Amino acid sequence: MQFSIKFLEYVCTTDKVASIILVSLAILLEYLVWYQLQMVRIHTFAFRLVFVAEKMVARMVDLRSDTVTKPTEAMRAAMASAEVDDDVLGRDPSCFLLESEMAKIFGKEGAIFVPSGTMGNLISVLVHCDIRGSEVILGDNSHIHIYENGGIATIGGVHPRTVKNNEDGTMDIDLIEAAIRDPKGELVYPTTRLICLENTHGNSGGRCLSVEYTDRVGEVAKKHGLKLHIDGARIFNASVALGVPVDRLVQAADSVSVCLSKGLGAPVGSVIVGSNSFITKARRLRKTLGGGMRQVGILCAAALVALQENVGKLESDHNKAKLLADGLNEIKGLRVDTSSVETNIIYVEIEEGSRTTAAKLCKDLEDYGILLMPMSLSRLRIVFHHQISASDVQYALSCFEQAVNGVRNENGN
Amino acid sequence: MVAENHYYFSVQERMVARNVDLRSDTVTKPTEAMRIAMANAEVDDDVLGNDPTAFLLETEMARMMGKEAALFVPSGTMGNLICVLVHCDVRGSEVILGDNCHIYIYENGGIATIGGVHPRAVKNNDDGTMDIDLIEAAIRDPRGELLYPTTRLICLENTHANSGGRCLSVEYTDRVGEIAKKHGLKLHIDGARIFNASVALGVPLDRLVQAADSVSVCLSKGIGAPVGSVIVGSKNFIAKARRLRKTLGGGMRQIGILCAAALVGLQENVGKLESDHRKARLFADGLNEIKGLKVNASSVETNMIFIDIEEGTRTRAEKICKYLEERGVYVMQECSSRLRVVLHHQISASDVQYALSCFKIALKGLQNETGN
Repeated sequence: MQFSIKFLEYVCTTDKVASIILVSLAILLEYLVWYQLQMVRIHTFAFRLVFVAEKMVARMVDLRSDTVTKPTEAMRAAMASAEVDDDVLGRDPSCFLLESEMAKIFGKEGAIFVPSGTMGNLISVLVHCDIRGSEVILGDNSHIHIYENGGIATIGGVHPRTVKNNEDGTMDIDLIEAAIRDPKGELVYPTTRLICLENTHGNSGGRCLSVEYTDRVGEVAKKHGLKLHIDGARIFNASVALGVPVDRLVQAADSVSVCLSKGLGAPVGSVIVGSNSFITKARRLRKTLGGGMRQVGILCAAALVALQENVGKLESDHNKAKLLADGLNEIKGLRVDTSSVETNIIYVEIEEGSRTTAAKLCKDLEDYGILLMPMSLSRLRIVFHHQISASDVQYALSCFEQAVNGVRNENGN
Repeated sequence: MVAENHYYFSVQERMVARNVDLRSDTVTKPTEAMRIAMANAEVDDDVLGNDPTAFLLETEMARMMGKEAALFVPSGTMGNLICVLVHCDVRGSEVILGDNCHIYIYENGGIATIGGVHPRAVKNNDDGTMDIDLIEAAIRDPRGELLYPTTRLICLENTHANSGGRCLSVEYTDRVGEIAKKHGLKLHIDGARIFNASVALGVPLDRLVQAADSVSVCLSKGIGAPVGSVIVGSKNFIAKARRLRKTLGGGMRQIGILCAAALVGLQENVGKLESDHRKARLFADGLNEIKGLKVNASSVETNMIFIDIEEGTRTRAEKICKYLEERGVYVMQECSSRLRVVLHHQISASDVQYALSCFKIALKGLQNETGN
């Protein structure tokens, strides 16, 4: 504006027409420059607005768990047209199909659909330990022991005997053997009837138990007349990561509880597999616990679609997890043990000296639409599933960067 | 002993032209409207957060029943189990219930085997009630606590199935509620078929269950949803119920799918219950006219009929069931001289006529067979 006034002064003192044209041009130019400046400001504001809007609603990357998977179009179509019947008074045909398929896939005699993995484990432990005064050996950091409300004891009257879980999800074989009660002490000891393994092992970061390890534990169980149950909530992830077919992987087990609502993406449910006589008892206990649903084929139809469509996508989830893990490890202030990222779970450690805590970081990332699970003061968990895309991974990575080390507007920059 | 092979089969397995499934109102299949609702349901992880459709259903049910909150569960059995266990969460508890009620007879004794709660059974009358004075007499005197478990809960069942789907009046329910209050006990109603009771009595749901601390309501029976029940109660009660539901393994993820169907059931099928009751009465009257069968028509208050085979009739329940089955009519055998029939919205008036004629022919035929 200053420039144009000066110019005006100059031109007006000389040629009138030229001066008018030049002045007009000058004013126009000045205005355009000014306008551009305003536009930049507006753009910046708009960008921030969009960014904030994105933070609020538009983009959601839910990495809290693989249970958040929503039913796909194919699943919804299958559910809408599922053939159903009363599964308590008789057999729901879609449920029967799913159970037959699962038994076949796992190389076991029978299978039964249950509302959740918790019920799958609860039923399995309680059926193997149906005599009062039973004890089960399981990992001190296993899902059954930590996250199932202690139901095997409070509901089932079974006594848990924990053995230390190593970082890779295994328990030392000699520690397992040492935990088995000597029958000669039965006056004071409960009776050990069952060993439980968890594959993949959630709290270790989704780590796989090898087929060799599983077989060895199976041998110990057999040697002592015990049963072996595998909490196989994410057994398909283990099978894919290890390159071992599921039936071979669980061969040593008497029963397996398999989740369909996690990586496989079905809306609801798990399936227990085992011998015919085991499944018969399981069916009865399922009714007792209140898991006897009627036209359950609706849920089973979605699960069948999940089995067909999503097992093949697990490898991709593992690859994305490794990519994100590597990326996160490079962010100053964060640390990931990338060698322990075997499947779809990542544990992220916040390094000492960092300005943030797990809870704060989770909250900050929530503003970007990224949902995570804080595990402790300095640890958070990320779980991949097929509804997380490669671009989501990139977005998450950049948001982490921003949140941990980036300059934030709130801090007055 | 239940003839297990006879009850538990799939109707589809039988190759008959016409299927009239009168074994239970649980056999109702999802309607087109329900299937569409299920396919389009908005869902989310109901354990990590709140599934929006489940939230809608639970809010609606709480409102309808006049209670603070509600919780969706996979079955009526889990509904009752959770309610009894939450009311009786202190070890050494006892619950008073009818000796012929569903919780006591048909739930695998779960309240005891799973929940550690001691049942105290009081005689159920023919109309589904228990005498008030017998209920009071069964309440444990706290002074005897060295030897006695502690009574914490009374359970009623409305409609009362084993009496033939009979209704407990709101006056009776209120009286039992008073007894419970007087002794510091809770009152739970097994309301699997509470909608039927409400319709038959002409009493609004919330008034009918006003005296109760909790109610378990089935959506998969007369309401016709494919799966599920809902527990209603105080906010505090439902919070504990949610936790116990998880412990029992009833914490399902994207359940909005099932809840969407249930919402449709609530909108569409409550109005059809009256018609089920009418058909039941017609059916009962028709059966009563068949020589050899007897129905206590005055006890047919809702959608259930118990059919007694008269003494001297040369046939037994098993044979009649088999005969009917061959013609595509399925009923429940209660014992060697008793059958049960349950009406629901997927049984038409012409189905009723067809079933009646099959019964007629069955009785005639079997009478002749056995050498008349």
